Amino acid sequence: MRIELSPSVWWYALSRSELWRSIIRHGVTDSSRNRSLAIFQNFFLHMHPVKVRRKALEVRHTYYLGGISLALTAILAASGILLMFYYHPSVPEAYMDMKELQFTVDIGTFLRNMHRWSAHAMVLVVFLHMLRVFYHGAFRPPRQFNWVLGVVLLTLTLLLSYTGYLLPWDQLAYWAVTVGTNMVRATPVLGERIRFLLLGGNIVGANALIRFYVLHCVALPLLLVLIAALHIWRVRKDGGVKGPLAEDEETLEVYR
Amino acid sequence: MKDESLDIVESADPMSVPKRVALVRPDLSLAVPRRREEQVTTFPHLIVREVILLQWVVILIALASLFWDAPLEGIADPLETPNPAKAPWYFLGLQELLHYFPPVVAGVLIPTLVVIALIIIPYARVNRAPVALWSWGSKRVTIGLLSLTIVVVPLLSLFHCWVVLVPTLACEALIGLSRPLPHPGRLRAWLGLRTLPQWIMTWFVIVACLLTIIGTFFRGPGWSLVWPWEISL
Amino acid sequence: MTNRLRVVFATSSVVFLVVLAAAPLKNALREYHGYQREYRRLAAERAPSARLARAVASRPDRIEQIWNPGFGNRVDRCVTCHQGVSEPTLAGAPAPFGFHSETAHTPVDLDQFGCVFCHGGQGLATTAAEAHGLTRHWPTPLLPSVYLEASCGRCHRGAQASEAPRLSKGRQLMERYACYSCHLARGYEAYTAEAPSLSATPLKLRASWVRAWLKDPKALNANARMPRFRIEPGETDALINYLFSRPPAVELASRIEAAATEPPGDAAKGEVLFRESRCISCHTVEGKGNDSAPELSLVGSKASRAWLLAFVRDPSAFNPRTPMPAFDFTPEEARDIAAYLSEELRDFSEPAQQESPFQPNQRLAEEGRKVFLKYGCFGCHPMEGMSGQEKIGPELSALADKKVSSLDFGRRSDLPKTLAAWVGAKVTEPSSFAPGLKMPTFSLQTEEVTSVVTALLSLSGEGVPDEYQPISASPNRVTAVPAGDVGRLFDRYRCLSCHIVGASGGDISTAPLTFEGSKVTRDWLESYLLTPYTIRGILPERMPFFRMNAGDAKRIADYIADVFLDDSIPSDAFGGRPPAQEEVAAGERTYTRLGCNSCHILGQAGGYYGPPLSDAGDRLKSGWIAYWLENPQRWREDVRCPNYGLSREQIVELTAFVSTRHKIAADPAAGSQ
Repeated sequence: MRIELSPSVWWYALSRSELWRSIIRHGVTDSSRNRSLAIFQNFFLHMHPVKVRRKALEVRHTYYLGGISLALTAILAASGILLMFYYHPSVPEAYMDMKELQFTVDIGTFLRNMHRWSAHAMVLVVFLHMLRVFYHGAFRPPRQFNWVLGVVLLTLTLLLSYTGYLLPWDQLAYWAVTVGTNMVRATPVLGERIRFLLLGGNIVGANALIRFYVLHCVALPLLLVLIAALHIWRVRKDGGVKGPLAEDEETLEVYR
Repeated sequence: MKDESLDIVESADPMSVPKRVALVRPDLSLAVPRRREEQVTTFPHLIVREVILLQWVVILIALASLFWDAPLEGIADPLETPNPAKAPWYFLGLQELLHYFPPVVAGVLIPTLVVIALIIIPYARVNRAPVALWSWGSKRVTIGLLSLTIVVVPLLSLFHCWVVLVPTLACEALIGLSRPLPHPGRLRAWLGLRTLPQWIMTWFVIVACLLTIIGTFFRGPGWSLVWPWEISL
Repeated sequence: MTNRLRVVFATSSVVFLVVLAAAPLKNALREYHGYQREYRRLAAERAPSARLARAVASRPDRIEQIWNPGFGNRVDRCVTCHQGVSEPTLAGAPAPFGFHSETAHTPVDLDQFGCVFCHGGQGLATTAAEAHGLTRHWPTPLLPSVYLEASCGRCHRGAQASEAPRLSKGRQLMERYACYSCHLARGYEAYTAEAPSLSATPLKLRASWVRAWLKDPKALNANARMPRFRIEPGETDALINYLFSRPPAVELASRIEAAATEPPGDAAKGEVLFRESRCISCHTVEGKGNDSAPELSLVGSKASRAWLLAFVRDPSAFNPRTPMPAFDFTPEEARDIAAYLSEELRDFSEPAQQESPFQPNQRLAEEGRKVFLKYGCFGCHPMEGMSGQEKIGPELSALADKKVSSLDFGRRSDLPKTLAAWVGAKVTEPSSFAPGLKMPTFSLQTEEVTSVVTALLSLSGEGVPDEYQPISASPNRVTAVPAGDVGRLFDRYRCLSCHIVGASGGDISTAPLTFEGSKVTRDWLESYLLTPYTIRGILPERMPFFRMNAGDAKRIADYIADVFLDDSIPSDAFGGRPPAQEEVAAGERTYTRLGCNSCHILGQAGGYYGPPLSDAGDRLKSGWIAYWLENPQRWREDVRCPNYGLSREQIVELTAFVSTRHKIAADPAAGSQ
């Protein structure tokens, strides 16, 4: 008997193998059942419902701004982890590491650029996301708390971007952070103390660098991931993404 | 009550969830159309779109990274203050405000108020109802606009804060222009249907963008006004 | 999934992969790869053997660097592209592959110093634009090569840096023009200018001369050291009133007034004396002279005859720090010299009538004092009651470390934004930056400006590790200038104005005194002090004729013979025995073979560059002759006498020949003309 060794034969054999089936339990043929199983048997995808409204897929419905934020978060996490391999949060090594990235590390400049431009884009996109949700009235019940989570995420994004701003330890970083932390000083009663706590001293120095580093690489990302997970989960629990108001919704007053 | 008063909302959740009940006030119409929307399976329709989205985000950021390098200035030197020392761009709006108001107002009060205002949006009654501003009654709105003008003009003039005053007055003028008329044009009719929160948010966005743009591109040594091409980048 | 979506997905995936591949591709095309490829080609072409050519051609691309953990943790990656710097076969290769030119430190010490310490630029970088530091955010761009010697001066802090003529010249100029009077600089804290004291102004100068001088010193004297200040006319009046209102010190006044009553001398005799005393060894007259002391061409128009007479008699009474020695002139001789100075060395075009004495106005004098303080005149001209004044200019100690962003370019928007350009403009046209700046104009030549800028750019506060400090003078050198009675004699005749002793002294004379006792015989020295004569005719500077009394000459000669010795130089090269006749004969043959007579006079013929050797046996100790012949440059670095690498035997023979040359005629003044 002649065995045909075409790709489809290989694919068939692979998808029937014990290894494959121990990882992916549902079948590979395109059926409604398998489509459903693909979602709710997958750890990462099970935040999605099995079915979504066709309208919700339209670009004008959400402009995918939340999705873009999530994609940017993924880029930031990936490039950030790679950058951490080359970075010492100390003075003046921090700055020298920037030079190493620029001049000796393979695709070092590219990595840093990716991280920086994504961070700027993230601030912008998250803000636009907020505006989109506001103008579409998507904060209305039952989504009130998810809006609050969104505001918290916006704040976290700003804080992450701001703490990361100091890490290259160049003049731009140093003085931007000095200007920012001087604003904190104006807070009545607690201003000086909050600033001292944030900087680990009275001026932006090596202590501030290590504090900002820990906040930027550990504390704030953990919080962001946690709250973002909650935020996305609640999107589904609150009835899926909410697009613009339908014509007939304009005069509707619910939950007064 | 008739049967139609209960709107059965189809759940997207595969698990069975309790049916939701809508209570409708007697003075409102009960004619709620039953909306049945077409649904598609998440896999592949949504998942593929998500993957494409991720790809394009990566593509755009990677292209930007190939062509523009992230800035890196000289090593931090506490003894050498650049003039002007600027915060990251997203805080330049605040820094611009700092130019007009005392630090406690611009650096603490205003950001705190903004965050609080954002948080309470979904809980404030005025935001819940998608009721057009002008439906509150022409007289109320006119009085409101006038009293706002009386408060805002002297207050902002006192601090010479024209960058906030001008857009504020422009927004007020726009509200005034959107006053319902017997035969409004399409744009006017559309503007006439905007709610108070929408007006406030629009005003906020315009002011925030204006402040940020001025802070980023039009501020030179000693926070003086300069043209963007005079800023040595 | 619609067909359209499939197409979108497929296209987007392709674009995605292409874009992701672009980053490593861009990385692989970094410019240093191209340079390394080109270098391998060049180096293989020039390799001396086929094996070496293959070896160099097969070298992989890689970032190369000179890393110096012990030297400020410097990392210089310049050698990534400049690969031929220590490869002699690449000599003359096109930039950037050439072999580094040979200097005291290069290319041998490249590994110790790296590149950036001397050349500036950004050593970390691996692209030409960034490495050469022409970006706004790198504080030290490549140092322009005309100023390169500034880097030598960061370690070599002495006034003379060997192999760095421009730097040394610049440092000399900075001392000459008294930069340190107004600006503090490390190593020059105790600097004092050689400007004349103003204590006897009313008895020395005329107001009209002072006015003209203040307007532009160079107009009166092309060699003037005083720069041109931008003093307002009203301020000049006030300043003159101030200077003429200061009463001269009683002691000086009485000397000058006494001199004024003396009969006039004979100018013709004075001229002969002026020449005999070799005044132009230090002073300049009509373009001739050493120019290390004030120009005298027009001194008669400047200073009164009485003052000149009193000054010539005892210069140190007028200025305790003056380098001018006291000559033992008779009262008559001094009058003759003063007559020559005031009658012959003056501006004959100006009216000879007597100017009436200036009557200072007290109110204007008060104002003048403020003007004197305002322009920092006290920096060079010491003034009673102003000794505690702060220097008027900013400190220069760390000038080279200044960041461009901290420099005030003022109105000079035409300048490139570099430290070198800024310093250059400050030196050339200090007034051009802003109105009201007080720094005066020095009117230097272009080459002088370059030298001064080089010296200024060497003033770095950045320390170098101890092992990088230049080796200082050998420890057995006499550093102490004599004290006691002999010290007073040294001071009286101002020996150190011209001669080096240990680490101090001037460099007008080519004969350092540090080990003079090991070099010359006591008797010769004594006779020379009494009646000096020309030893090297090619040099314009001569030992002045002090008319020293016999006692002083003997004491100085004794002291030098007993104290100024180097123990490593024996006094006799033959261990006590007289040189053998054969040795003298062999020495003569060597003398002829080496062509010593092209520089030295011996007998009837010879060159003028070196000292005559006709009386070498009377003048020099044989031990020193042998020591010299072993290595002439050991005595002084700049000695031109070639080191022939003679064997011990040849040295002894040549010494035997030279040390047996004695004067034929007993005429001590044979060479004085």
